[in-house]
Amino acid sequence: MNFKNLFITALRALNRNKMRSALTSIGIIIGVSSVIMMIGIGNSARIAVREKIFTYGANAMSVYDSKKPLTLRDVENIDRLLPQVRYISPFVYKSYVLTKGGGQFIYSRLYGVNNDFFKIKSWPLTNGRYFTEREIAASEKVVIIGNSVRTELFGYTNPVGEVLNVDGLPFKIVGLLTEMGQALSGRDFDNVLIVPHTTAAMKIMGKRTFDEIYVSTYSETEIDETVEQLKEYFRRTHVILPGKMNDFKIKTSKEKLQMVKYISNTLSILLAGIASISLFVGGVGIMNIMLVSVSERTREIGIRMAIGAKRRDILTQFLIESVTLSGAGGIVGMLLGLGVYYLIIFFVDWPFIFSFFSIIVAFFFSCAVGIFFGYYPARKAADLKPIEALRYE
Amino acid sequence: MVNNLIEISDLYKIYPISEEISVHALQGVSLSIKRGEFVSIMGASGSGKSTFMNILGFLDTPTTGRYVLDGIDGSTLNYDEKAEIRNRKIGFVFQGFNLLSRTSAIENVELPLLYMGGITTREMQDKARKYLGMIGLAGREHHHPSELSGGEQQRVAIARALVNEPAIIFADEPTGNLDTKNTEDIMNLFTSLNQDLGITIILVTHEPEVAEYTKRKVIFRDGHIIEDSPVKKRKKAGMKKR
Repeated sequence: MNFKNLFITALRALNRNKMRSALTSIGIIIGVSSVIMMIGIGNSARIAVREKIFTYGANAMSVYDSKKPLTLRDVENIDRLLPQVRYISPFVYKSYVLTKGGGQFIYSRLYGVNNDFFKIKSWPLTNGRYFTEREIAASEKVVIIGNSVRTELFGYTNPVGEVLNVDGLPFKIVGLLTEMGQALSGRDFDNVLIVPHTTAAMKIMGKRTFDEIYVSTYSETEIDETVEQLKEYFRRTHVILPGKMNDFKIKTSKEKLQMVKYISNTLSILLAGIASISLFVGGVGIMNIMLVSVSERTREIGIRMAIGAKRRDILTQFLIESVTLSGAGGIVGMLLGLGVYYLIIFFVDWPFIFSFFSIIVAFFFSCAVGIFFGYYPARKAADLKPIEALRYE
Repeated sequence: MVNNLIEISDLYKIYPISEEISVHALQGVSLSIKRGEFVSIMGASGSGKSTFMNILGFLDTPTTGRYVLDGIDGSTLNYDEKAEIRNRKIGFVFQGFNLLSRTSAIENVELPLLYMGGITTREMQDKARKYLGMIGLAGREHHHPSELSGGEQQRVAIARALVNEPAIIFADEPTGNLDTKNTEDIMNLFTSLNQDLGITIILVTHEPEVAEYTKRKVIFRDGHIIEDSPVKKRKKAGMKKR
């Protein structure tokens, strides 16, 4: 019997029990659609978080949590000693600063930096300009504001040139940062005031030391080496004996990326694992129905054998039935999964990533489930003896 | 090599029930049947006639003994080769019709061709249509068994037995589920198949009237053939047109 005829025979059999066939496929539909959905959401989350981390700055690292103060001397030394350092900026911050302007007020985070900071973070301006050398040297009261500060205080007008009262002091707005959006933690990246580090240190914090030093290299490959050299530098200047712990910390964008990658991979595996369980349950459902079907159709099998069906013909017919159930379930599940995935992505505004690979894998996997769970019932059917099957009531 | 279509010698079939007890369904049966014969096999239930038919139809295997069908020794065949013989050389007609339910008449008739291979869908349909026409069911190709009378269902089953152009038809109590009128019709049909097409037919029955239609009567008792004789007063096929 050729394959086409077997296929037609199998389709007719499934067609005779439409409702049962559809219900049997639901297990696979749910399994495959959740696999597709989970993988999709995992991919999108990874990209979304990755983009956020790049706002932290590509090839960037920072020295922080230092027990000994970080100074302008450190900044100058590092800049001189490490030629691969492209940008370097001091960093001081105050997390809760009362900001008044346009008759409104808001509490914002305040960063004190130099112009390199914008390069390290890849934070472009929408309006205005960066600081001038003179403004930094003279600790002038100029500020570049984030988009949330603008919208809260000035609405959608251009704020450049306006005066802003920061912590009781009048600052002139010279620039407006391009909107960055929220972090996954819900923190608003745009509620930020950026002033020259000299101004922050002298006029607001009243100190000459820095909280962190930001550094970025020309290329990603130089990150590890730079981290090592920074450690060496600070161990030397902080006079830490060999074998003693560092009294400072260094974080890199690479570490963050790796962490996010690790978390999202773990999540993906976990979710795909859960989805596979439903695929497995779907497979057991198919096996169950196929067993029922075989015993219901014992007489039919007997008739087919009596008039010349070989064992292989019976085996193939029932395998095709189970694979058709699981394969059709796989296709429907794929479409459903993509649909739900697209819907979710649409609402949380993450990028839609069409993974052709995961779709192919999910489809073949569902067919494989059909073969795996369909084999035992099909084998049972093929092993029936013609006379016994014919006598079966 | 003689002209015998079926050659049986010393056939035994023993069903072991337990270590001590076994049922001897056939105890040394020998029989030969020529091409073109129309044989009825009779006997009470338990006489071994059904076992005998199953063995003849390659549905069951004898414990010992030799069975040759059309020059092919049954003992040399494996499972799939037997399936192939059933498919190409044998047509079955059963008491309970054994049609696939919820499957149209024409699809039921096509079934043996489906397993034959090397035949197009078009050819299958043409053949099935031809035999349905021959047994008088033209125009009812797409009826399901449940929409047909018992007599009509048995005709479909006969068309299915004919469609592979077999050397022999085995009919196991083909009229057992039919009334007198339909029995007559079916037997007339068998008679004309035997006479006009020259198909060898072996028919199991316990009704003497049915056996009257055949040319030769073989009677079983307790696993032995106790009588094997030509039918003298043959009923003639009715003159009805079909």
